Amino acid sequence: MGPSKMAEAIVAIFIPPACREEVLGDLCERYRSPFQYMFDALCTVPLVIVSRMRRTSDPQVILIQAFAMYLSFLGAAWFVDGSLLADRWALIRLAIPAVLAMAGLVTDDAYRNPKKRGFSRAPFLGIAVVCILWLDFRIPLLVLLYGAGMSLLLSSVVRLLFPPATDQLQGVNAPAYWLERPGGPPVEPLLLIRILKVIAAVVVLAVVIACVTVLKGDFR
Amino acid sequence: MSKPESIGQFEQLVLTAILKLRDDAYGVTIHSKVEELARPKAVSLGAVYITLDRLEDKGLVASRLSDPTPERGGRSKRCYRLEALGERVLQESVVTAKRIWDVANEAWGKDWGKRFGKEAI
Repeated sequence: MGPSKMAEAIVAIFIPPACREEVLGDLCERYRSPFQYMFDALCTVPLVIVSRMRRTSDPQVILIQAFAMYLSFLGAAWFVDGSLLADRWALIRLAIPAVLAMAGLVTDDAYRNPKKRGFSRAPFLGIAVVCILWLDFRIPLLVLLYGAGMSLLLSSVVRLLFPPATDQLQGVNAPAYWLERPGGPPVEPLLLIRILKVIAAVVVLAVVIACVTVLKGDFR
Repeated sequence: MSKPESIGQFEQLVLTAILKLRDDAYGVTIHSKVEELARPKAVSLGAVYITLDRLEDKGLVASRLSDPTPERGGRSKRCYRLEALGERVLQESVVTAKRIWDVANEAWGKDWGKRFGKEAI
């Protein structure tokens, strides 16, 4: 006796493809009743998603991307109508698209199938964000369009420099870890990448500070 | 020689479960063994998955997909095994735990478990 096809199909939608096979199998093996199955799935699947997100995203790269996106929307608002930034909540309101887009990108990376090299859903995500924000958050359409275009460009550059972990070999697809590091961990390349990321983060931070200073100067 | 990874108590439990289960170490069996080791605390299957992923990222365990089985609805298991680094890290944890055990025995006496109502000590 096992779970119904319908229940399994519903649970399967929420499990990232990279670990769907074994998680569905484990839940099926633990099946005792429909209620227990759904309770088990409700307790397990959110943690599986979080774990997958942690594996496929790098906090430093996310931070760089978020800065790039925020800068794009800030720049777009300044370019379209500088007076928009005089509003008390303007800076926070302009952060909403960046936060939503980042949440979408992290989720998209987690749900990308490592075995299939499909198209990126990022542009569609961007369009959805633009539509939602235009309707709900009183951000002018032109600001959203310019911001989305610029953030797509900057975000693509960041992702080209630091590709998402979904494209890297993991778990069963990767060779045994000890084969990769005879005589100890590969300290030099890791250290180099970290230094590069820190430099990139510092540059982005400096750009943001410079922009904010310039914007403040303009208002005075 | 490289500096070994530091691991938490839950990670120690998961590594111990994999050590005990050997070729039969996969999600469900590891969860059962960890629950047995961690009693009376309840352990969720999701917490075991997160820990297994983290241990794999640290290079302490490796995984592979087994052949599909009918009792799992024709799905494969992800089987785990300890890597050499994982064994070394677990050994260090056991040595530390032994030191704690010795100090506790010295301070509270050999039958302290019974006095404090601790089960299976």
